[in-house]
Amino acid sequence: MTAQQKISVMINGTMHEAHVEPRTTLADFLRGELALTGTHVGCEHGVCGACTVLLEGRAVRSCLTLAVQVDGASLTTVEGLEEDGKLHPIQQAFVEEHGLQCGFCTPGFLMTVHELLYENPDPSEDEIREALGGQICRCTGYQSILRSVRLAAAKLRNAHVAGSTQHS
Amino acid sequence: MSVQIPKTLEDFPNSAPRWVGRGVPRVEDPHLVTGRTEFIDNVVLPGMLHAAILRSPVAHARIVSIDINEAEKLPGVIAVVTSDDARRWSHPEPTVPEEWGTHCLAGDKVRYVGEPVAAVAAVNRYVAEDAIELIAVDYESLEAVVDPVKAMEPGSPLVIEEKGTNVMLQRVFTWGNVDGAFGDADRVFTEKFRWHRLGANPLETFGVIAQWDPVDESLTLRASVQSATHFGLGRAAVLGLPSNKVRVIAHPHGGSFGGKGGTRGTDVTALLTRKAGGRPVKWIEDRAEYLTGGGGQAWDRHYEVSLAVKNDGRVTGLDVKLLDDMGATGEGFGAISTAKPLASFTGPYAIPVARYDLTIVATNKLPQSPYRGMGPPPHNCVLEQMMDIAARDLDIDPAEFRRTNFIPKDSFPYTIASGNEYDSGDYEAVLDKALALADYGKLRERRDQARAEGRCVGISVVSAIEPGVFDWNAYAIVGVQGTGVPEGATVSIDIMGKISVRVGFALEGQGQYTLATQLVADYFNVGFEDITVVCLDTHSAPPAFGPGGSRLGVALTGAVLGACGKLRLKLAKVAAGLFQMDPEQVDLVDGKLVAKGVAGVEMPMAQVVGTMLARSDLLPPDVDPRPEATHVWTAPGRTEVDEEGRAKSYLTAAQAVHVVMLEVDPETGLVEILEYCVVDDCGTRLNPATVEGQTEGSIAQGVGAALLEEYVYDEQGQILTSSFMDYLLPTVYEVPATKKGIVVTPSPFTPLGAKGCGEGAMHTTPAAILSAINDALAPMGARATEVPASPNRLWTLIRAAQQPAAGE
Amino acid sequence: MKPARFDYAAPDTLGEAVSLLERHADDDVMILAGGQSLVPLLNMRMARPELLVDLNRIAELQYIREDGEWLAIGAMTRKRAVEESDLVRRRQPALLAATRLVGHPQIRNRGTVGGSMAHADPAAEYPALALVLGAELRVVGPGGERSIAADEFFKGYLMTAMEPVEILTEVRVPILAPGTGWSFVEVARRHGDFALGGAAATVRLDASGSFSEVRIVLFGVSGAAVRLGGVEERLVGQRPGDALFREAGATASEGLEEPLSDVHASAEYRRNLAGVLTIRALGEAVARAGGREPGQEERR
Ligand SMILES: Cc1cc2nc3c(=O)[nH]c(=O)nc-3n(C[C@H](O)[C@H](O)[C@H](O)COP(=O)(O)OP(=O)(O)OC[C@H]3O[C@@H](n4cnc5c(N)ncnc54)[C@H](O)[C@@H]3O)c2cc1C
Ligand code: FES
Ligand code: FES
Repeated sequence: MTAQQKISVMINGTMHEAHVEPRTTLADFLRGELALTGTHVGCEHGVCGACTVLLEGRAVRSCLTLAVQVDGASLTTVEGLEEDGKLHPIQQAFVEEHGLQCGFCTPGFLMTVHELLYENPDPSEDEIREALGGQICRCTGYQSILRSVRLAAAKLRNAHVAGSTQHS
Repeated sequence: MSVQIPKTLEDFPNSAPRWVGRGVPRVEDPHLVTGRTEFIDNVVLPGMLHAAILRSPVAHARIVSIDINEAEKLPGVIAVVTSDDARRWSHPEPTVPEEWGTHCLAGDKVRYVGEPVAAVAAVNRYVAEDAIELIAVDYESLEAVVDPVKAMEPGSPLVIEEKGTNVMLQRVFTWGNVDGAFGDADRVFTEKFRWHRLGANPLETFGVIAQWDPVDESLTLRASVQSATHFGLGRAAVLGLPSNKVRVIAHPHGGSFGGKGGTRGTDVTALLTRKAGGRPVKWIEDRAEYLTGGGGQAWDRHYEVSLAVKNDGRVTGLDVKLLDDMGATGEGFGAISTAKPLASFTGPYAIPVARYDLTIVATNKLPQSPYRGMGPPPHNCVLEQMMDIAARDLDIDPAEFRRTNFIPKDSFPYTIASGNEYDSGDYEAVLDKALALADYGKLRERRDQARAEGRCVGISVVSAIEPGVFDWNAYAIVGVQGTGVPEGATVSIDIMGKISVRVGFALEGQGQYTLATQLVADYFNVGFEDITVVCLDTHSAPPAFGPGGSRLGVALTGAVLGACGKLRLKLAKVAAGLFQMDPEQVDLVDGKLVAKGVAGVEMPMAQVVGTMLARSDLLPPDVDPRPEATHVWTAPGRTEVDEEGRAKSYLTAAQAVHVVMLEVDPETGLVEILEYCVVDDCGTRLNPATVEGQTEGSIAQGVGAALLEEYVYDEQGQILTSSFMDYLLPTVYEVPATKKGIVVTPSPFTPLGAKGCGEGAMHTTPAAILSAINDALAPMGARATEVPASPNRLWTLIRAAQQPAAGE
Repeated sequence: MKPARFDYAAPDTLGEAVSLLERHADDDVMILAGGQSLVPLLNMRMARPELLVDLNRIAELQYIREDGEWLAIGAMTRKRAVEESDLVRRRQPALLAATRLVGHPQIRNRGTVGGSMAHADPAAEYPALALVLGAELRVVGPGGERSIAADEFFKGYLMTAMEPVEILTEVRVPILAPGTGWSFVEVARRHGDFALGGAAATVRLDASGSFSEVRIVLFGVSGAAVRLGGVEERLVGQRPGDALFREAGATASEGLEEPLSDVHASAEYRRNLAGVLTIRALGEAVARAGGREPGQEERR
């Protein structure tokens, strides 16, 4: 039997150490070993995007990454979005704009939108679509998700403005 | 005093309702956006094992032998099951039509690629998958039947030998003097169509945890199941267990669209937990399993349709011949999709007579399952193409042609040729609104200008009916028994005045818990935070079917409001006792129990409830002391089918008009949607935001159906679309932004006048897109009759049109 | 859908990786780069290596540098880094255009430049780009380092000139010479999908406005990306124009060998696409050679 390998990984600001079989996917590791079940699995071959998490701030498919590969890395999952028990502005925007129905795809969308908006606070329509093009939602038809992303961008920009005026 | 279910918001005991009719944020969402909703794969039980299912790699073969020795020896493997176990502990799967089923694990032969052959329960899924690779199956290959036409020929190999035929059902339904109508017609149009297999593909596949209790021989199923009661009864029948020994705990699920499937996999998992001595076994269907062996394939249809038309544009008869390739068995209940078109056979049109020549055939493919819309979407698509063919030939604008044939607004309730009754509507108003919204005149100018530039641009104006609130009787013609589909809810108030609503269905995505919350909040004049909605298991829930057939919004409204009404009476009775008044003199008003006409005599609800819970000794003798009430709502007035399959089946008839403009690239066959306008009338909108979500989501699925989605089998019955790289779901790029408008003609038959609207635009969008494509192709004399209209298909048509001589 | 067992090693240096491969020359070893093609195959158990050698920890394989007339790109450079590289945007816009057509941002965040070359999918953008630009691919193995011209590197459906024990280390792409017009177009069923067909072209015009240099590559239409040598030859010396492009398109279409046929498109469709895309690519490339941006972008 293949030896398990020890990994340590920072997830949502908490350090985790674990022994994993090399073939364990990151998605299965997060869900099965760490009970971080907010990351969902919809296809296990990279197409649907439900399993998307942030690896060093970048949106990646956790079904196409092995757990052993994230040794020493820092990850954010949907469980890491809330701040002080309050919904993150992106989550809030999805609620307000009805950017979800069954919600199974939502964590993947949230992580993708997180990457987008932290790199590009004021994305164009094309840039939003480009970011979302790899995330499949079977329920909403995407229009409400687009509205949610626009609202989230506005919320984050306002928060930023509010934050900077507070500091000055 | 009997229970009154409010017909409008004015009937609520609340002078200022705040919630119903508004696009309020959903109570479901905070859990969902934080990843906290308990989807089935999140659940871990002590000692739980994980299942993997070995599936047939071939479409049709005799199983010579199965050797599980190596698999059983693999460390970590706890149980292996084969057809021996299936025969010992289960019966063949129930089917529609009846008796077209097999055991959940293939025994003598396999009948489709993906059919379960054996299964393993192991300490984790990885090991379980290692183990199924160690099972050696010796197959002796048989000729596969893949083409339904050939399947009907004498001498064809048989999918289920004992049946002696591959024809599952063949029947002609004639409604009125169809031959007369066609004989008297000025023009008759006939065309053939092909609608290829496609299906639901919810983002979450099916999952179940089965736990056998060896002591009392009972089974608990936790599952991502759409209709828990129904599912539990089916499993009890298959597993030979008394119905009260199967308990189903429904979990929230990541979409369903009718195609969640999972029955056969659940039965296999039940065998595993039993063989594993009662350890819980989890089976999470993976995407490849879903695509090749799950509940995701529907509607594999060959149509021949004729329309009888008068020169003045009146359509006087419709003749539909359908051959549906059901796949190997009837276990997916896909056949009901061939029956549902009866609920809206002639669409929004006053076509007086019609015929339906229906044949359902078995082949060596995955058995069909339902999918959003349950059958009418292809039917509507071909009917709308015929309407366009006729309009084009008569040189009548497609919008006006439809207007001529619409059921007039003063003729509702209106009984259509195939027997169902439409509740209400104003189809011309919907059409006019859609044309205005689309700026139809301008749109045509834009199209004509583009055409002048040599571009291939087309417009469609189509209309369809969405039958809402299904009833079993709608499927009687394919052998489904019964009439009436109940939905129950219990509304219960605790000693702190907080309210619980108990239902029998889990979250699926349409926002029904929010709807229940809206209704209760307005009824009792409380806030959202004062209400919780919980799903009970099948042992304790009120009678429930759950979502499906565009019904739950309406049915739940009836159930919740009925329960509220009963509770109102109960509270009034108790309060009257406390006020020492006649119960008739006391009523619930704005959340308080008030003595009518006696100023100042009132009591907060919580106080009345507190009395009920704490001082049953003070209650009038005939009052049940529980401050709760249950109501079970069933669509009223449904009738038994007659000998021609006619019945009042679906209770409501929503209607929509879609106007679409699109461009076909003649060099590549790619389609780009340029404009998409939709106006619909689904009666009262209880939560406009969620209705809009259903519309947008169903447009997306309609786009997928029209342009992208297709299961492809080769001549050996091998499936070629077993991943999301090949089965193409629409992305944000393919789904158009839409202009939307609404018309509201409340249903006279439902609480608050809402109509079923969950299936939504799926009924209309494929028709609208194909029609617009055909308008684009019309100038070159080409006609698309296959769905999906893939680039390859469209390009082939265009090329043939451009080189008429070639190949002749 | 879970991978079969394998052993795993993640060397920190290229040297270690090479010696690992050498030591395991007789075993079934696979190299793991971005994993965006390999891990789906592992999950489906269609790839079942005994040992997986992960290159992701080798920092020395991640770079984009200007090196004389070339852009030198480390094999483990993520496509997202290419997309965001100022150097690429300025020096080789065709590479940027091709990169943006590869899958989606989430795929490009992991998928590497070397991985796409080594995988040699017939419908992938990168091999086509390497061919049209005349890229060079550097590989190292137990026998040392060698450089392989793109024309020699791609050997057919999912096949390259690399030995199993070799590692692709660097992809060298010529900087776009001033005055060179380029195009990278494709047709896919959905945005981000592997192409049903695509074409890449670079052209140079002489003082009289005639073609002095033409390179055209088709991908997705047959078993591997192909350079249209015959078409190129016939174009050189001619003045660009619609009729000429149509003729080139017809030649490309007729000359296409063994077009692919799959669930998405038939061989005839792809044969047609070969012509259509050749015409479109030439039109775009000529426009750019003339200093214009092509008026109409591809729809998908
Ligand atoms: C949803 C989705 C959409 C996609 N769409 C596209 C698309 O439109 N166009 C496209 O081109 N690709 C597409 N891809 C594939 C993607 O671009 C992959 O990233 C790429 O094909 C392989 O790169 P990788 O770094 O991920 O390599 P891996 O998957 O890690 O490896 C691929 C193969 O190359 C070998 N290999 C990798 N690196 C080296 C090396 N340095 N030396 C020797 N051998 C090596 C591996 O052993 C393996 O056999 C898509 C993938 C997904 C999941
Ligand atoms: S589960 Fe990872 S992309 Fe679908
Ligand atoms: S909300 Fe259900 S898949 Fe997106």
